[in-house]
Amino acid sequence: MNEPGSDTETTPAAAPMPAARTGAGWRRDVWPGIHWIQELGGHRAGIARAVLESGADWYRPGNELYVPQNAYLLTGERTLLWDTLSPASGHILLPALEELLGERPLDYLALSHPDVPHAGNTMQVLRRYPQCQLVAPAAGETHALYHLDDAMKVGPGDEIDLGGLRVRFPEATFLDAAIHTWMSEEATRTLFTVDWMGFPHQSGESLRRTDEIDTVVDVGRLEEFHSRVMFWFQYVHPHKVTAATDALAVQFAGYGLAPAHGLPIPGEDAAPYYERMNEVVRRVAAGGRGGVL
Amino acid sequence: MRAGAPRDRARTVSVIDLGGGVSWVHECFPETDAHIHVSVYLVEAPEGAILMDSGSFHHRQRLADRIRDATAGRGIGAIVLSHSDYPHSGNIPAFRRDWGDFEIIASCGDPDLQGLPYARRTKIGDVTEVLGRRFVVLDPPLADRNHTTWVYDEASRTLFVADGFGTLHAPGACDIDWGRIPEDGRAEGVHEFHAQTLPWLRYADPDRVMGALHAMLEKHPPAWIAPIHGPPIAEADVPRYMADLSDALTRIAERN
Repeated sequence: MNEPGSDTETTPAAAPMPAARTGAGWRRDVWPGIHWIQELGGHRAGIARAVLESGADWYRPGNELYVPQNAYLLTGERTLLWDTLSPASGHILLPALEELLGERPLDYLALSHPDVPHAGNTMQVLRRYPQCQLVAPAAGETHALYHLDDAMKVGPGDEIDLGGLRVRFPEATFLDAAIHTWMSEEATRTLFTVDWMGFPHQSGESLRRTDEIDTVVDVGRLEEFHSRVMFWFQYVHPHKVTAATDALAVQFAGYGLAPAHGLPIPGEDAAPYYERMNEVVRRVAAGGRGGVL
Repeated sequence: MRAGAPRDRARTVSVIDLGGGVSWVHECFPETDAHIHVSVYLVEAPEGAILMDSGSFHHRQRLADRIRDATAGRGIGAIVLSHSDYPHSGNIPAFRRDWGDFEIIASCGDPDLQGLPYARRTKIGDVTEVLGRRFVVLDPPLADRNHTTWVYDEASRTLFVADGFGTLHAPGACDIDWGRIPEDGRAEGVHEFHAQTLPWLRYADPDRVMGALHAMLEKHPPAWIAPIHGPPIAEADVPRYMADLSDALTRIAERN
């Protein structure tokens, strides 16, 4: 059962931020000026089985389990959309944008990387908002192969002032493809980590932040995601990865984390997640890939 | 080297015969100082022609023309994708308009999320049959996207790979196999390609990566390694390529 919102009737652990159903999908405000649009995808039965076999206590048998795609709309005096969900969810994204923006224009569409589940509705968004400036990572050499040669390129040192919100583009520390960037928003102190810091969630937890769910996001839960998506952890020197993670923890101390494939983590709760990710890397390097998505 | 290898035919036909029913349909794209291949391969199967990846939209018309020529107008009966990255999958809609709703064999990722709801998903470790030809589906040690799969064609002993095993090449060396690229600069082309394309290699332990690759090649010994982003590597040249690759991974790791 994949009906959007079918799993959001459970009362969250903490008072929820305003949540609203659009005509054909789901979105909510996650932090002031940051709106979250979520694509659940289908129930991940294989991952659910693996979670049960691991003995994890955060997953309730029978619940649906999701590895979502997230897009975030930032609204200051100007507006910016971060990623576009997969091609399967144009019917979620566009109505959500129209509802959130109303008569306002979409000023920027910023892509983290030109991966299909992140950039799958780029052309639809640009057709709907033809004055929108496409923003792409400066990193990489093959932008023309992705129709990104004419995009505005951004990287470390660049900032876009949205009026009330300011976004920057730090290097993507953990990434798959070369054309890739992360993004931070400095007013709310939010770091958008794309494929890193993702994790599955279950029925009742969609569109909840980590402080609004009853279950823990422990090492095993993070490992279920990263041992599949960051399959290359199996080939690394773990100390190199943990050093990079420790540097991020210092650089972005106090920042909330807004991943593309998990639930947002408030800044006051974020610190332990870095060490959990270090343990994930050690486990995957020792035990190998957990599977595929 | 077998009859029909690139040394014989590179400049005379629109596709280059690697033998065993496999042809290299080479295309490349200029970067700042070098070219990068964005090729496809044609595989003749008992029930039709299989295209390995679909190539870049930049080369769409030329690829379609050459495929039509190579298949005597029949076109393709199936596409096997390494992954759904746009330079690999971007021509599928156009080719389906040209040649009908042929079968799409996706990689191991969720086809819906990859924009390929009509595709058949593969599973790592499986042996899958496509138009009567058997392919082993492998877990790639050198890939960017997590949903990438490599396939080994049992009949020709060709290992189809992306994005790893690429080589940047100089203009003018676009249609020759890896062993014929001038040695001066060839190893650098292997290094530059992997440094640019697989950014996670900065964290890699070269011994782990090379160990996984050697194990794969031992289990599935290739007559050809057929990269999307580099020239084909003949069996006789594989040891030299692997030595260059090992050096490249070490350089990348030591720099970071």
